[in-house]
Parts: sequence; structure tokens; C-alpha cells
Amino acid sequence: MSYNGGAVLAMKGKKCVAIAADKRFGIQAQTLALDFQKIFEMGPHLYVGLPGLATDTQTVHERLKFRLNLYELKESRHIHPKTFGNMVSNMLYEKRFGPYFVEPVIAGLDPKTFEPYVCSMDLIGCINEPEDFVVAGTCTEQLYGVCEALWEPDLEPDDLFETISQALTNALDRDPISGWGAVVHIIEKDKITTKTLKTRMD
Amino acid sequence: MALYTVADYRTNVGAKTVPFIPYDDNGGSLVAVAGDDFALLASDTRLSTGFSIYTREQSKLFRLSDTTVLGCAGCWCDALTLARILEARMQMYLHEHQRPMSTPAVAQMLSTLLYYKRFFPYYVANLLAGLDEEGKGCVYSYDPVGSYERVHYKASGSAGALLLPFLDNQIGYNNMENVTPEPVGIPKAMQILKDAFISAAERDIYTGDSIFINIITKDGIQEEKFALRRD
Amino acid sequence: MECLLGVAFRDFVLIAADMTNARSIMVVKDDEDKLHKISNKLVMAICGESGDTTQFAEYIAKNIQLYKMRNGYELSPSAAANFTRRNLADYLRSQSPYYVNLLLAGYDDETGPELYFVDYLASMVKVPYAAHGYGGFFSLSIMDRYHKADVSKDDAYEIMKKCVREIHKRLIVNLPNFKVQLIDKNGIHDLPPITAKHLAAEEADVPLPEVRVI
Repeated sequence: MSYNGGAVLAMKGKKCVAIAADKRFGIQAQTLALDFQKIFEMGPHLYVGLPGLATDTQTVHERLKFRLNLYELKESRHIHPKTFGNMVSNMLYEKRFGPYFVEPVIAGLDPKTFEPYVCSMDLIGCINEPEDFVVAGTCTEQLYGVCEALWEPDLEPDDLFETISQALTNALDRDPISGWGAVVHIIEKDKITTKTLKTRMD
Repeated sequence: MALYTVADYRTNVGAKTVPFIPYDDNGGSLVAVAGDDFALLASDTRLSTGFSIYTREQSKLFRLSDTTVLGCAGCWCDALTLARILEARMQMYLHEHQRPMSTPAVAQMLSTLLYYKRFFPYYVANLLAGLDEEGKGCVYSYDPVGSYERVHYKASGSAGALLLPFLDNQIGYNNMENVTPEPVGIPKAMQILKDAFISAAERDIYTGDSIFINIITKDGIQEEKFALRRD
Repeated sequence: MECLLGVAFRDFVLIAADMTNARSIMVVKDDEDKLHKISNKLVMAICGESGDTTQFAEYIAKNIQLYKMRNGYELSPSAAANFTRRNLADYLRSQSPYYVNLLLAGYDDETGPELYFVDYLASMVKVPYAAHGYGGFFSLSIMDRYHKADVSKDDAYEIMKKCVREIHKRLIVNLPNFKVQLIDKNGIHDLPPITAKHLAAEEADVPLPEVRVI
């Protein structure tokens, strides 16, 4: 889990959700790239973050996209984030005794009611579905500390952006194998805002 | 017959070695903030081991002099021993030099004391806070074997990782734009400190119950208590 | 122990690989070719477990050729890189994983030069410059310092020489020779290998027979 480094964070707001991650790709202490994608768009209001072993980030993303395409072809509708969570969980549990080393984080809005939804799970698919925020990656302790202090209920999109960005950047600064830039997605009913953050480069 | 032999092995008759484990982790967190003319040091009051709580009201702060306070979290027996030795050494210094030890001097002595047990260390997270010879607030942070550093603020102990990035942000003004980084005063530092502990108590099972805060100024040391969640 | 280097610029990409083949403490060969032609404008530099390297490189190369024959057009470098990654990832969790690290350097007629870094776990990233092996500890800092998108071919070759010089100077492992190739819109070009012999001669300021980049 700490071979390549990386961190993902998702938060609920008022009629919106946010998901953010760092951009580092490294092999242990050696940083090799500053634009590694850990968050993937899985639908118009659905994003998944896959921190962990980089190869599994990519493999799990590919396989999830495949399963999601089959689902949407069969059902002719967009998936509910909660259903998607179960899909991810099910896929991970198939490899219960030889798992993919990723800790997925899902953030999205209900395709019909636009209710915010976030969840996270461990590498074998045990779902955690809290009311506030979820964290994953190599600096979860730091993230829990700042999120617990900064988050409050019913944040407006702009405030949610500020909160998630401050939480992520300050946590990243205390983790040597995460950081080197970050990306934030704010998901609203009829707008998705993607911003990149400058962070410390050391 | 063969089954019997297996069963016999399982009854575990005969000599058995009981390992001696010299350390225990009793948890606890510390936060210290140094200001221009004051220093704050706070510890939570939960003393625990594994999933059980020994007591909900054990301060981990040791008042070493009128200007110096030590915070010890980790293996409680080591913390007690270390504080006792420090107090004794400070007493000896007082008798020899006819004046109490300054905070920077205590800081250096603590480092030496820790390094003397380099290969059987005191299993403690130490924070030393007080006023230096000029009356300025100072905080010293240690690793278990005596590496130390004077800092403006610090969190350590079981929830160190949870507390520190928040302090970086609120006291160190890290990643803040359009703000002038002015040094915090006592009221603001107290507020940040309490907020930090409330957050840490949400997620760290070894931190909670309440906190004791020592406010060190030239007029002496004031103590304040603040309640945290007790579950 | 082995070392692969790659740097992408605006109009071309340079790739280099050491030419040493060592068994345990013994150097068996110093003119090994670790650069494999995958298609007309795509080169794979590969190192790792020695049987695996050639086997895997040829398996990928032939499959990409097969794709071209079946479909009448070639895979783009990014498609080829993704194909390679997926193969390596599938083998990783099989009974017989390939222990290979690779760099893929190619020229895409639509988007220009591209460089992909793939490790034995099948993590893939598109990068402006990259290195595999201990040589990376030294050469990456050189690349950080000197890499610019807009550089002439001669200057690019100079940057590669700087990297090799640093590896010779600071790395304890003996990697005297580096084979270098350049990929641009016209295809793959062999550049003169960077060797300890040439570098020493250059330093001593002895005139050598002129080598021109393309």
C-alpha cells in the first residue's frame, strides 16, 4: 500500500460532493511522475479514487470501466453511486485471497434525486458509508485529523472546495510519499468543477 | 492411538517460556505551543492499554519548575521514571548552582538522559515547554532516543499524526493565502488546541476523556481542564 | 544493476540502454542489444530477468505486428503501451509472471513523440523523461536540470551523454556502453553508442573520427 504512495479524500456538502487526490507516482522514495491519475470519471456525476499500488489502480480502473459499460448497456441508465459501490466491492471480494492493493473511494450524486453520496472500502471490498467524509491512502491519519477539525455539515460548493483543499494539502505536507500537486473535483447537479492545486514539491 | 498423541500435544504439559515484555503502550497525546511571552502544554487524561482504560484522569504533565513543564506520553512506567530522574537531577543542579535550571538547560539534559538509554530506550514521546532565559516561550520536541529540536508548536503521542497537520495550518499558517502570519496569542492558541484535541478524540481511541492545559507565563503556571468525549 | 534511459522532446524522443549482460558477479557480454524494435516508430527498452526480457519483448513485438497485418493499420504508441501494460499486468498475477522493467519510446503521427515508463508490476506512466535501475538515481537529476522540450538533436544527445558520464562517475556498477536510438517522424535512427572509451577520449581531448547525429 505504501510502495507507490498517494492519497484520496472525498467529502459531502450541501447538494454537492467533492473528491480530491494527490498526483505523485513514485517507487518507494523515488518520485517518477507528477501527473499520475488516481481519480477516474465513471459517469456524469460519479467519480472513483483508487489509491494504493499503482498497477492495481490502473487494472482496477480498467476492469471497473468494463463492468460499468456492461451494466449501462444492459440497463440503459446511469448507475447509482451506491450500486456502483457494491459493484466495486463485489469485484474486490472476488479476489479475497489474492487482492488488488487499492482502497477505493467513491463520490457521486444520485442520478435522479442528486443526493450526495460518498463511500470508501478496504482492499477486499468492505464498504464504509459515513455521513461526512472518507479518506484513503498513505496519510489517512493526517487526513482524519484535519478533516475532523475542518469539515462541517451543509457546506456550499465553494466552501467545500476550500475545506477539501486545505484538508488535503495540509495532510500531504506531513506525508513524504504523497503530494507533488493535487487535483480536486467538485460535483454539483449541473456543474463539475475540476481544479488542480499547487502543493509543496518536497 | 495417533489421535491421542495429537491431543496430548494440545494439553500443553511441560515447561513453557513466558516472554518478558518490558514495554507497554499506554497511549496519550500532547500538544505544545510557544508564544512570544508564554508557552502552552496540554495532554489528554486517558491512560489505557490495548482496548481497556486504566483511568480517565491521569494528567501526563510534570511541573519541573516555575518555568518548565514536561509532557510524557507512551509507556507510563517509563514516563514516571524519566520524570523522577529529571526532577532529581534538577534538584541537584539547584543545590550546586543556587538557582533553578533554565528550560533550555533542562532540554539538553533530557536529551542526554534519553541517549544514555540508547539501546534500551524509554518508550516515551516527550514535549518540553516553558520560558527561556529571555522570558520567551519555548517548546522542545524529542524522539525516544534523545534527538531534539526547538520548535514553535508540536503535537506528539498516539494522536500526533492527527493533530500536527491541523496545527501546521492554524498556527504555522501553512497553505494559507492572503493572511499575514502573525504569532498566536494565548486565547487563540487555547482555542486551536482545544479544537485539535476534540478532533483527535473523535478518531484516536487512546486519546480522550479530558485535557489538562498548562499555561506558562512569567507570572507562573496556570492549569485549566477541558472535557473531551469519554467513549 | 542494468540501466535504461529515455527522454522525450518536442519533435523526437531519445532512448538509451546499457549493453552489459552480467551473471551474478561476472560480466558475460558488453555489446548486448536491449532496444527492441516494436514497430516502425516504436522502440522498447527492456531489462530484468534475462530470459524474460527477450521473450516478452518479442511476444509484444510480434503481437503488434500481427495486429497490423489483421487490421491494415498500426497501433499508436499509446495503444501499444496500454497493450503491453495489460499483458504484463495479466502475467503478474499468473503462475509465471514476467520480471521485466521497460521504457517505450515512440512517435505518434497525430500527437508527436511519446515516452512510457512501465515497471515489472505493470504500473505505467507517460513521462517527459525516465530511467530504470540504479542509473536513475544519478541520471534523473541531470534530466531534471537540463530537460527542455525545445532542444536540437545534437543537444539532446549531449544530455544523454551527461547522464551516462554521471553514471560512469558515481555508480559503482560497471556499465561502460550505452546503445542509443532516436525516434522521430521518419522512424527509428541508430545513434552512435555512448561508451566509456569515447567519453574518456573526449575528456582527454584526443580527436576521434567525427560522429554525426543522423
